[in-house]
Amino acid sequence: MMAWLQKLFGSSIGKKLWMALTGLLLLGFLVVHLAENLLLFSDRDGAAFDGYVHTLTSFAWIPLAELVLAGLFLAHIVQAIRVSLQNRAARSTPYALNPGHGGRTLASKSMLVTGSIVLLFLILHLAQFRFGDAAARERMAALVRGEFEKPLVLAAYLLGLMALAIHLSHGIQSALQTLGLSHPRYTPLLQKLSVLIAVLLALGFASMPVYFFASGASR
Amino acid sequence: MSAPTHAKGLRITLRVWRQSGPSASGAFETHALESVSPDMSFLEMLDVLNESLVGTGKSPISFDHDCREGICGACSLVIDGHAHGPDAETTTCQLHMRHYRDGATITVEPFRANAFPVVRDLVVDRSAFDRIIAAGGFISVNTGSAPEANSLPVGKPLADEAMDNAACIGCGACVAACPNASAMLFVAAKISHLKLLPQGAPERESRALAMVEAMDKEGFGNCTNHYECGAACPKGIPVSSIARMNREFLRASLKSSPPRGAAPEGA
Repeated sequence: MMAWLQKLFGSSIGKKLWMALTGLLLLGFLVVHLAENLLLFSDRDGAAFDGYVHTLTSFAWIPLAELVLAGLFLAHIVQAIRVSLQNRAARSTPYALNPGHGGRTLASKSMLVTGSIVLLFLILHLAQFRFGDAAARERMAALVRGEFEKPLVLAAYLLGLMALAIHLSHGIQSALQTLGLSHPRYTPLLQKLSVLIAVLLALGFASMPVYFFASGASR
Repeated sequence: MSAPTHAKGLRITLRVWRQSGPSASGAFETHALESVSPDMSFLEMLDVLNESLVGTGKSPISFDHDCREGICGACSLVIDGHAHGPDAETTTCQLHMRHYRDGATITVEPFRANAFPVVRDLVVDRSAFDRIIAAGGFISVNTGSAPEANSLPVGKPLADEAMDNAACIGCGACVAACPNASAMLFVAAKISHLKLLPQGAPERESRALAMVEAMDKEGFGNCTNHYECGAACPKGIPVSSIARMNREFLRASLKSSPPRGAAPEGA
């Protein structure tokens, strides 16, 4: 079984399957994460959000889920770095001229860059809300609002989310191709949907820092 | 009435990659060509330049070519950064000088991939493709001459799709164009072409596993779905073939059983 898995995921197609599967699972996390965070908008004092955070963190399995999620991120990132290094090593002499043939896009070319920006953003995000001051984390809604009133935090979030949108606009449709979903009838639609999902997710997440920054500034 | 621009032919400045051998370090060499006929093919232009080089006692520029009608896959070259030149779905031998304006500077490089080492100048060793084909790009059973057409019906849509993939001439432009120097479009075309037809279908699983394994051994990069390959392919092989290969490989991996007689795992 182990030898079989090693052979499958060690092959060139297996490597991109790995990226696609971990990437789609991370996308699933993002959708759930956006849905729970939108509770911030449900009332003025943040009681709904705080109540949700409290219930969620009181579950005994949450540390395990966090570990699995961290493992997913690591699996996606480590493989991305390995594959990028291998790909670079496959052509030691670069072309003198390389205008492209019309296939690659800004998003497909910059996956490592946008991925790295998202990772830096993730580190900031975890430092703020996961590993920050324990007493402040008791009242998460207030902590979030306070953080989002800082202009630098707003800028970092907008940059991170823009990178996320670009990353996903290639990543989602790329994962579908890797899983073998490609057909002249529906692939153009899937490619547009990938971009739409990426933009909607980023806009959804951006709505929170923008709203709380604006309402903080108008106070 | 003014004379046609091409009356005396085109003046072309050619920057060509010269490399004396596989381990030698190469460099660009510049040649000024006067009165290049716009009716010449790109390779004929190189022929003319080579004649003049030989005439002056210099070594001619080495480049691959054979049929010169776009069907053999021997010619290569990356011209101004485009595999097989700027024209879509055209091999270098079918590219004509009329596509260039008078006074143009053209940069010519070999296909660049570590799996395609430079032999000399613009010639690269593409035998990695032969080894991939030898690993499974065939039908094992020799069934004699072509069968009577109605004895083995193949639907028109299926035959078309198989033919689209059989159009692959194995030139390696997909590898040359891929930012990762990946050979997936080539292997996908072969796996697709054979899998889609009744003669090739029985071996689809062993073929998919063996050809992907052989490809990985050659040191090509991994596919990251840039789709440069499909855009560069002189035969217009679609990248949906790569998706089919992904399906075929996954299917074969899920169905494959350990070799007969092997000790069960954990025993």
